[in-house]
Amino acid sequence: MKLLGRWHPKLWRRKPAAAPGSDLNFEAAATSGLDDLQARLNHWSDLWTRGNESAIRSDAQRLVAERLAKWMEHCFGQHAQSSLRGTDSQISLASSTPIFTAFLGRRATRELSRRVLQDL
Amino acid sequence: MPRMVRLIWILFALHLALGMIAYTHFLVTGRYVVLGWYFSTLGTLFFLVMTVTECTLAVMCRSWFDPDEPMRLAWSMIACAALARLAGVVLRTVYDNHLPWGYWHQFNLLSGGLFTNLSQVGLVVGGPLSMAFLAIGLGRVLGIQRKFHLLASLTRVDKVLLVLVVAFSVSQLSINLPLFGNHPSLGTMLLWLSDPLLSLLLIEAILVRRSVIRMGQGLVAKCWGMFVLAIIVTSAGDAAIWADSHNLLSESMTALSWYIWFVAAAAFASAPAYQLAAISLTRESSLHLVEKR
Repeated sequence: MKLLGRWHPKLWRRKPAAAPGSDLNFEAAATSGLDDLQARLNHWSDLWTRGNESAIRSDAQRLVAERLAKWMEHCFGQHAQSSLRGTDSQISLASSTPIFTAFLGRRATRELSRRVLQDL
Repeated sequence: MPRMVRLIWILFALHLALGMIAYTHFLVTGRYVVLGWYFSTLGTLFFLVMTVTECTLAVMCRSWFDPDEPMRLAWSMIACAALARLAGVVLRTVYDNHLPWGYWHQFNLLSGGLFTNLSQVGLVVGGPLSMAFLAIGLGRVLGIQRKFHLLASLTRVDKVLLVLVVAFSVSQLSINLPLFGNHPSLGTMLLWLSDPLLSLLLIEAILVRRSVIRMGQGLVAKCWGMFVLAIIVTSAGDAAIWADSHNLLSESMTALSWYIWFVAAAAFASAPAYQLAAISLTRESSLHLVEKR
């Protein structure tokens, strides 16, 4: 916004008065929205990172790991996963993104992540 | 195998098949007419096509990395190395006047005593300068591979190879250093850097080879594997020149050793083709993904 825009007459108008009971509606909507957002964030976080070992992995997580393993094999080789991780634990987007970014570039890795998360 | 890589090696196979006809003619008749024409015209064309391909593909690979990404520098250096190799081929072609079109001998006379002729400029640009760029590029790649713990420890064979490479480099330097007294041209002195630079490239190639073996047969691994092959083949070609200069090779073996450079050119061109195939894979839906059950 330009500095002079602050003195525009339209901006001098006061805020419209809130409708009665709108605060309650807003709070209810905000709570459900936050819950929804939290659930979504948790879901994406689970997909991106390797979940707790004791927790039951969802199908989506397993699918992501399988797809990543396939991409890893195509791009680097059949032993790349084990040589990178040292163990046979499941691969995640968070753990594999740095190597994909280093060797394929940021843009290609973004495309790859999009394909890995496709239909999930 | 990616389409571009297949195309490069099909072209190489066709070129080699023609080369074998020329070689057979040389073996049967003992005359260099057909063999000479093959190397001067078809050979030069092949080098031009391969270096243009390599240069274009390397620039395309570079464009996929943002300026703040470490591999950007690596691919910039590899693209510079390819460009230097292309410039070297063009300069030597101009000097030798091998291609049927154009007559550029009037540009061959160089003022000053820095370089003997345009062909020497081509040799320096396509040789030590190109090697220096490639050495910086591969050094950067090795740094990234080390960061991801992809560099495996060297085996005994690797160590023996390293010792041999260093010993060869030192022996070449000991031969060249006394020649300083003859006041050689700058071009000649720069060409002496070829062996140490090739040794450095071989050391890098040995290290990259270890990481490639560790990773497997993926497209990125094959890209660096192709660089390793190209460097090893270049060293073999260099060794053949050395052996020929010491009369260790027969005439037929010398002629056969000239074909080595075509393998190196094809391998150099294949390396960025593999990298580009890996990048392109992310944009195409050709990779069959694991389906949601």
